[in-house]
Amino acid sequence: MSASMAYAGLWRTCRMLLPRHHVLSPAAIRTQSSASGDLMPWTSLSRPPWPEQPSPYSAEEEQSRHAAVVSTVNQRINLRDFGRLFAVVHFAGRQWKVTGEDLILIENHIEAECGERIRMEKVLLVGAEDFTLIGRPLLGKELVRIEATVIEKTESWPKVHMRFWKRHRFQRKRIIIQPQTVLRINGIELAPRLT
Amino acid sequence: MTSRGTPSRFLRSVLQNGVGRYVCQLKRISIVFSKKAQSSLGARDFIEEGVVDYANKNPGTVVYVSPQPCRVPKIVAEYLNGNVREETITSKTSQQISELLTKLTNQSGLEIIRIRKPFHTDSPSIQGLWHPFTNRPPSIGPLRGFSMHDF
Repeated sequence: MSASMAYAGLWRTCRMLLPRHHVLSPAAIRTQSSASGDLMPWTSLSRPPWPEQPSPYSAEEEQSRHAAVVSTVNQRINLRDFGRLFAVVHFAGRQWKVTGEDLILIENHIEAECGERIRMEKVLLVGAEDFTLIGRPLLGKELVRIEATVIEKTESWPKVHMRFWKRHRFQRKRIIIQPQTVLRINGIELAPRLT
Repeated sequence: MTSRGTPSRFLRSVLQNGVGRYVCQLKRISIVFSKKAQSSLGARDFIEEGVVDYANKNPGTVVYVSPQPCRVPKIVAEYLNGNVREETITSKTSQQISELLTKLTNQSGLEIIRIRKPFHTDSPSIQGLWHPFTNRPPSIGPLRGFSMHDF
Protein backbone atom coordinates (compact mmCIF):
# COMPACT_ATOMS: atom_id res chain seq x y z
CA MET A 1 0.00 0.00 0.00
CA SER A 2 2.69 2.43 0.95
CA ALA A 3 4.84 1.32 -2.01
CA SER A 4 2.03 2.06 -4.49
CA MET A 5 1.44 5.45 -2.87
CA ALA A 6 5.12 6.24 -3.22
CA TYR A 7 5.01 5.15 -6.84
CA ALA A 8 1.97 7.34 -7.45
CA GLY A 9 3.80 10.32 -6.02
CA LEU A 10 6.87 9.51 -8.13
CA TRP A 11 4.84 9.24 -11.36
CA ARG A 12 3.00 12.46 -10.55
CA THR A 13 6.24 14.39 -10.15
CA CYS A 14 7.64 12.83 -13.33
CA ARG A 15 4.51 13.82 -15.20
CA MET A 16 4.83 17.40 -14.02
CA LEU A 17 8.48 17.63 -15.02
CA LEU A 18 8.52 15.98 -18.44
CA PRO A 19 6.40 17.38 -21.27
CA ARG A 20 3.80 14.79 -22.21
CA HIS A 21 2.78 15.63 -25.75
CA HIS A 22 0.68 12.53 -26.32
CA VAL A 23 -1.54 13.17 -23.30
CA LEU A 24 -2.55 16.69 -24.31
CA SER A 25 -5.43 16.03 -26.70
CA PRO A 26 -8.07 18.68 -27.41
CA ALA A 27 -10.61 16.69 -25.39
CA ALA A 28 -8.26 16.66 -22.39
CA ILE A 29 -7.92 20.42 -22.09
CA ARG A 30 -10.68 20.80 -19.58
CA THR A 31 -10.94 23.19 -16.67
CA GLN A 32 -8.60 22.17 -13.90
CA SER A 33 -11.12 21.86 -11.19
CA SER A 34 -9.60 18.99 -9.19
CA ALA A 35 -7.66 19.76 -6.07
CA SER A 36 -4.37 18.29 -7.29
CA GLY A 37 -4.55 20.31 -10.52
CA ASP A 38 -4.51 17.29 -12.90
CA LEU A 39 -5.91 17.64 -16.40
CA MET A 40 -7.14 14.07 -16.82
CA PRO A 41 -7.48 11.01 -14.58
CA TRP A 42 -4.42 8.83 -14.75
CA THR A 43 -5.38 5.40 -16.17
CA SER A 44 -3.52 2.46 -17.61
CA LEU A 45 -4.03 3.90 -21.07
CA SER A 46 -2.65 7.33 -20.29
CA ARG A 47 0.79 6.40 -21.53
CA PRO A 48 2.03 3.76 -23.99
CA PRO A 49 3.34 0.50 -22.51
CA TRP A 50 6.84 0.95 -23.88
CA PRO A 51 9.39 2.87 -21.84
CA GLU A 52 9.62 6.52 -22.70
CA GLN A 53 13.05 7.20 -24.15
CA PRO A 54 14.32 10.76 -23.84
CA SER A 55 15.39 12.07 -27.23
CA PRO A 56 19.17 12.25 -27.68
CA TYR A 57 18.94 15.73 -29.25
CA SER A 58 18.64 19.00 -27.40
CA ALA A 59 15.74 21.37 -27.91
CA GLU A 60 17.54 23.59 -30.46
CA GLU A 61 18.69 20.58 -32.44
CA GLU A 62 15.14 19.22 -32.49
CA GLN A 63 13.84 22.55 -33.74
CA SER A 64 16.43 22.74 -36.48
CA ARG A 65 15.68 19.17 -37.55
CA HIS A 66 11.97 19.96 -37.68
CA ALA A 67 12.64 23.09 -39.72
CA ALA A 68 14.78 21.06 -42.13
CA VAL A 69 12.01 18.49 -42.59
CA VAL A 70 9.39 21.19 -43.14
CA SER A 71 11.55 22.97 -45.71
CA THR A 72 12.21 19.72 -47.59
CA VAL A 73 8.52 18.96 -47.76
CA ASN A 74 7.76 22.52 -48.83
CA GLN A 75 10.31 22.26 -51.60
CA ARG A 76 8.85 18.98 -52.78
CA ILE A 77 5.39 20.49 -52.90
CA ASN A 78 6.58 23.65 -54.68
CA LEU A 79 8.39 21.69 -57.34
CA ARG A 80 5.43 19.25 -57.55
CA ASP A 81 7.89 16.44 -57.06
CA PHE A 82 5.32 13.93 -55.83
CA GLY A 83 3.69 11.09 -57.75
CA ARG A 84 0.30 9.73 -56.81
CA LEU A 85 -1.44 11.28 -53.81
CA PHE A 86 -3.83 9.62 -51.42
CA ALA A 87 -6.10 11.30 -48.89
CA VAL A 88 -8.36 10.44 -45.98
CA VAL A 89 -11.63 12.22 -46.48
CA HIS A 90 -14.65 12.45 -44.14
CA PHE A 91 -17.78 12.09 -46.24
CA ALA A 92 -21.31 10.83 -45.53
CA GLY A 93 -20.50 10.02 -41.91
CA ARG A 94 -17.56 7.80 -42.80
CA GLN A 95 -13.85 8.22 -43.49
CA TRP A 96 -12.53 6.93 -46.79
CA LYS A 97 -8.95 6.44 -47.96
CA VAL A 98 -9.11 7.81 -51.44
CA THR A 99 -6.84 8.13 -54.51
CA GLY A 100 -7.53 9.44 -57.95
CA GLU A 101 -9.78 7.40 -60.25
CA ASP A 102 -11.33 5.24 -57.59
CA LEU A 103 -14.98 4.51 -56.84
CA ILE A 104 -17.00 5.08 -53.68
CA LEU A 105 -20.51 3.89 -52.88
CA ILE A 106 -22.65 6.10 -50.61
CA GLU A 107 -25.80 4.55 -49.14
CA ASN A 108 -27.97 7.62 -49.43
CA HIS A 109 -29.17 10.27 -51.83
CA ILE A 110 -26.91 13.21 -52.71
CA GLU A 111 -28.28 16.53 -53.96
CA ALA A 112 -26.36 16.48 -57.20
CA GLU A 113 -27.29 15.17 -60.61
CA CYS A 114 -25.41 12.49 -62.48
CA GLY A 115 -22.34 13.93 -64.12
CA GLU A 116 -21.88 16.86 -61.73
CA ARG A 117 -18.58 17.52 -60.01
CA ILE A 118 -18.42 17.69 -56.23
CA ARG A 119 -15.66 19.05 -54.04
CA MET A 120 -14.96 17.16 -50.81
CA GLU A 121 -13.95 19.60 -48.14
CA LYS A 122 -13.24 17.63 -44.96
CA VAL A 123 -9.76 16.27 -45.62
CA LEU A 124 -7.94 14.75 -42.65
CA LEU A 125 -4.73 13.53 -44.21
CA VAL A 126 -2.90 13.76 -47.51
CA GLY A 127 0.06 11.58 -48.36
CA ALA A 128 2.48 10.95 -51.16
CA GLU A 129 5.19 8.35 -51.39
CA ASP A 130 7.75 10.28 -49.34
CA PHE A 131 5.77 12.59 -47.10
CA THR A 132 2.39 12.86 -45.37
CA LEU A 133 0.49 15.93 -44.28
CA ILE A 134 -1.66 15.27 -41.22
CA GLY A 135 -4.40 17.69 -40.31
CA ARG A 136 -5.38 18.53 -36.74
CA PRO A 137 -8.08 17.47 -37.33
CA LEU A 138 -8.65 18.91 -40.82
CA LEU A 139 -6.36 20.32 -43.48
CA GLY A 140 -6.98 23.74 -44.96
CA LYS A 141 -9.25 24.18 -47.93
CA GLU A 142 -6.66 26.25 -49.79
CA LEU A 143 -4.13 23.44 -49.40
CA VAL A 144 -5.93 20.37 -50.73
CA ARG A 145 -8.62 20.03 -53.33
CA ILE A 146 -10.45 16.74 -53.88
CA GLU A 147 -12.98 16.54 -56.69
CA ALA A 148 -15.45 13.79 -57.45
CA THR A 149 -18.08 13.13 -60.11
CA VAL A 150 -21.45 11.55 -59.47
CA ILE A 151 -21.62 8.56 -61.79
CA GLU A 152 -24.69 6.64 -60.81
CA LYS A 153 -27.72 7.03 -58.57
CA THR A 154 -29.43 3.67 -58.13
CA GLU A 155 -31.21 1.69 -55.50
CA SER A 156 -29.68 -1.12 -53.52
CA TRP A 157 -30.66 -4.73 -53.97
CA PRO A 158 -33.83 -5.68 -52.03
CA LYS A 159 -32.56 -6.59 -48.57
CA VAL A 160 -34.75 -8.82 -46.44
CA HIS A 161 -35.35 -7.65 -42.86
CA MET A 162 -37.03 -10.50 -41.02
CA ARG A 163 -37.82 -10.91 -37.34
CA PHE A 164 -38.79 -14.28 -35.99
CA TRP A 165 -39.37 -15.48 -32.44
CA LYS A 166 -39.64 -19.20 -32.10
CA ARG A 167 -42.61 -20.76 -30.36
CA HIS A 168 -44.40 -17.39 -30.28
CA ARG A 169 -45.94 -17.36 -33.76
CA PHE A 170 -44.25 -14.05 -34.44
CA GLN A 171 -42.62 -13.21 -37.72
CA ARG A 172 -42.37 -9.98 -39.66
CA LYS A 173 -40.80 -9.60 -43.06
CA ARG A 174 -39.82 -6.34 -44.67
CA ILE A 175 -37.95 -5.56 -47.88
CA ILE A 176 -35.55 -2.64 -47.58
CA ILE A 177 -34.37 -0.80 -50.69
CA GLN A 178 -32.00 2.10 -50.09
CA PRO A 179 -30.92 4.78 -52.53
CA GLN A 180 -27.25 4.58 -53.47
CA THR A 181 -24.86 6.99 -55.12
CA VAL A 182 -21.61 6.07 -56.80
CA LEU A 183 -18.86 8.68 -56.88
CA ARG A 184 -15.70 8.61 -58.97
CA ILE A 185 -12.81 10.55 -57.39
CA ASN A 186 -11.38 12.64 -60.21
CA GLY A 187 -8.22 13.78 -58.49
CA ILE A 188 -6.40 15.20 -55.50
CA GLU A 189 -4.55 18.49 -55.89
CA LEU A 190 -2.00 19.89 -53.45
CA ALA A 191 -1.45 23.66 -53.51
CA PRO A 192 2.12 24.97 -53.32
CA ARG A 193 1.64 26.89 -50.11
CA LEU A 194 2.17 25.71 -46.58
CA THR A 195 2.18 27.84 -43.45
CA MET B 1 -32.99 -15.11 -50.05
CA THR B 2 -29.93 -14.08 -48.07
CA SER B 3 -26.80 -12.54 -49.43
CA ARG B 4 -25.14 -15.97 -49.47
CA GLY B 5 -27.83 -17.49 -51.66
CA THR B 6 -28.00 -14.66 -54.17
CA PRO B 7 -25.32 -13.60 -56.64
CA SER B 8 -23.01 -10.72 -55.75
CA ARG B 9 -20.51 -8.52 -57.52
CA PHE B 10 -17.87 -5.92 -56.77
CA LEU B 11 -18.40 -2.21 -57.23
CA ARG B 12 -17.33 -1.16 -60.69
CA SER B 13 -18.25 1.21 -63.46
CA VAL B 14 -18.77 0.61 -67.14
CA LEU B 15 -15.58 1.45 -69.06
CA GLN B 16 -14.19 3.83 -66.37
CA ASN B 17 -17.13 6.21 -66.73
CA GLY B 18 -16.36 9.48 -64.97
CA VAL B 19 -12.57 9.48 -65.25
CA GLY B 20 -12.81 11.64 -68.34
CA ARG B 21 -16.29 12.65 -69.34
CA TYR B 22 -19.51 11.35 -67.78
CA VAL B 23 -21.60 9.37 -70.27
CA CYS B 24 -25.22 8.51 -69.62
CA GLN B 25 -25.45 4.75 -69.65
CA LEU B 26 -28.98 4.47 -70.98
CA LYS B 27 -28.95 3.63 -74.67
CA ARG B 28 -32.58 3.09 -75.66
CA ILE B 29 -36.01 3.33 -74.05
CA SER B 30 -39.09 1.70 -75.55
CA ILE B 31 -42.50 2.48 -74.10
CA VAL B 32 -44.90 -0.34 -74.98
CA PHE B 33 -48.53 0.50 -74.26
CA SER B 34 -52.01 -0.01 -75.54
CA LYS B 35 -54.23 2.61 -77.13
CA LYS B 36 -57.47 1.58 -75.49
CA ALA B 37 -56.82 -0.38 -72.29
CA GLN B 38 -57.37 1.13 -68.84
CA SER B 39 -54.01 0.02 -67.46
CA SER B 40 -52.15 2.15 -70.01
CA LEU B 41 -53.92 5.35 -69.02
CA GLY B 42 -50.90 6.71 -67.18
CA ALA B 43 -48.64 5.76 -70.06
CA ARG B 44 -50.86 7.58 -72.53
CA ASP B 45 -50.88 10.70 -70.31
CA PHE B 46 -47.12 10.58 -69.98
CA ILE B 47 -46.72 10.31 -73.74
CA GLU B 48 -49.03 13.25 -74.23
CA GLU B 49 -47.19 15.58 -71.89
CA GLY B 50 -43.83 14.34 -70.60
CA VAL B 51 -42.09 12.23 -73.20
CA VAL B 52 -40.89 15.07 -75.42
CA ASP B 53 -39.35 16.95 -72.48
CA TYR B 54 -37.65 13.76 -71.34
CA ALA B 55 -36.24 13.12 -74.82
CA ASN B 56 -34.95 16.69 -75.03
CA LYS B 57 -33.31 16.50 -71.62
CA ASN B 58 -31.46 13.27 -72.46
CA PRO B 59 -30.02 13.71 -75.92
CA GLY B 60 -27.94 10.55 -75.64
CA THR B 61 -30.93 8.26 -75.20
CA VAL B 62 -33.22 7.13 -78.02
CA VAL B 63 -36.92 7.01 -77.12
CA TYR B 64 -39.22 4.61 -78.95
CA VAL B 65 -42.97 4.81 -78.46
CA SER B 66 -44.83 1.74 -79.69
CA PRO B 67 -48.57 1.41 -79.22
CA GLN B 68 -49.51 -2.26 -79.53
CA PRO B 69 -52.47 -4.32 -78.43
CA CYS B 70 -51.03 -5.54 -75.13
CA ARG B 71 -52.47 -6.21 -71.71
CA VAL B 72 -49.48 -5.07 -69.69
CA PRO B 73 -47.79 -1.77 -70.56
CA LYS B 74 -44.08 -1.75 -69.96
CA ILE B 75 -40.88 0.23 -70.37
CA VAL B 76 -37.91 -1.61 -71.85
CA ALA B 77 -34.58 0.06 -71.06
CA GLU B 78 -31.37 -1.00 -72.80
CA TYR B 79 -27.98 0.03 -71.48
CA LEU B 80 -24.58 0.51 -73.05
CA ASN B 81 -23.17 -2.68 -71.57
CA GLY B 82 -25.97 -4.71 -73.17
CA ASN B 83 -28.20 -5.31 -70.16
CA VAL B 84 -31.94 -4.99 -70.71
CA ARG B 85 -34.38 -4.04 -67.96
CA GLU B 86 -38.14 -4.26 -68.20
CA GLU B 87 -40.41 -2.40 -65.82
CA THR B 88 -44.17 -2.70 -65.92
CA ILE B 89 -46.13 0.53 -65.61
CA THR B 90 -49.62 -0.96 -65.12
CA SER B 91 -51.93 1.57 -63.48
CA LYS B 92 -49.18 4.08 -62.76
CA THR B 93 -49.75 7.81 -63.05
CA SER B 94 -47.81 10.01 -65.39
CA GLN B 95 -45.81 11.44 -62.47
CA GLN B 96 -44.79 7.99 -61.28
CA ILE B 97 -43.74 7.02 -64.78
CA SER B 98 -41.53 10.08 -65.11
CA GLU B 99 -39.89 9.32 -61.74
CA LEU B 100 -39.28 5.77 -62.87
CA LEU B 101 -37.69 7.06 -66.04
CA THR B 102 -35.32 9.36 -64.12
CA LYS B 103 -34.35 6.43 -61.93
CA LEU B 104 -33.59 4.31 -64.98
CA THR B 105 -31.61 7.15 -66.54
CA ASN B 106 -29.44 7.58 -63.48
CA GLN B 107 -28.60 3.89 -63.29
CA SER B 108 -25.81 2.20 -65.11
CA GLY B 109 -26.66 -1.12 -66.64
CA LEU B 110 -24.93 -3.23 -63.98
CA GLU B 111 -27.05 -5.78 -62.14
CA ILE B 112 -28.87 -4.78 -58.96
CA ILE B 113 -27.39 -7.46 -56.74
CA ARG B 114 -25.39 -7.36 -53.55
CA ILE B 115 -22.25 -5.23 -53.86
CA ARG B 116 -19.48 -6.75 -51.81
CA LYS B 117 -17.41 -3.65 -51.01
CA PRO B 118 -18.50 -0.01 -51.11
CA PHE B 119 -15.21 1.08 -52.70
CA HIS B 120 -12.93 0.12 -55.54
CA THR B 121 -9.34 1.19 -56.23
CA ASP B 122 -6.91 0.29 -58.93
CA SER B 123 -3.93 1.52 -56.89
CA PRO B 124 -4.51 0.40 -53.30
CA SER B 125 -1.05 1.14 -51.95
CA ILE B 126 1.04 4.27 -52.50
CA GLN B 127 3.60 4.19 -49.73
CA GLY B 128 4.12 0.44 -50.11
CA LEU B 129 2.45 -2.48 -48.37
CA TRP B 130 3.40 -3.14 -44.77
CA HIS B 131 5.62 -6.14 -44.09
CA PRO B 132 7.09 -7.07 -40.72
CA PHE B 133 10.41 -5.36 -41.47
CA THR B 134 8.94 -1.95 -42.31
CA ASN B 135 10.44 0.52 -39.81
CA ARG B 136 12.39 -2.25 -38.13
CA PRO B 137 15.84 -3.56 -38.94
CA PRO B 138 15.90 -7.28 -39.62
CA SER B 139 17.99 -8.93 -36.93
CA ILE B 140 18.96 -12.53 -36.28
CA GLY B 141 18.80 -13.45 -32.63
CA PRO B 142 16.37 -13.23 -29.74
CA LEU B 143 13.93 -10.38 -29.75
CA ARG B 144 14.84 -7.52 -27.45
CA GLY B 145 11.81 -7.28 -25.21
CA PHE B 146 10.75 -4.08 -23.55
CA SER B 147 9.87 -4.01 -19.86
CA MET B 148 6.31 -3.23 -18.88
CA HIS B 149 6.19 -0.58 -16.19
CA ASP B 150 3.75 -0.90 -13.35
CA PHE B 151 1.07 1.73 -12.99
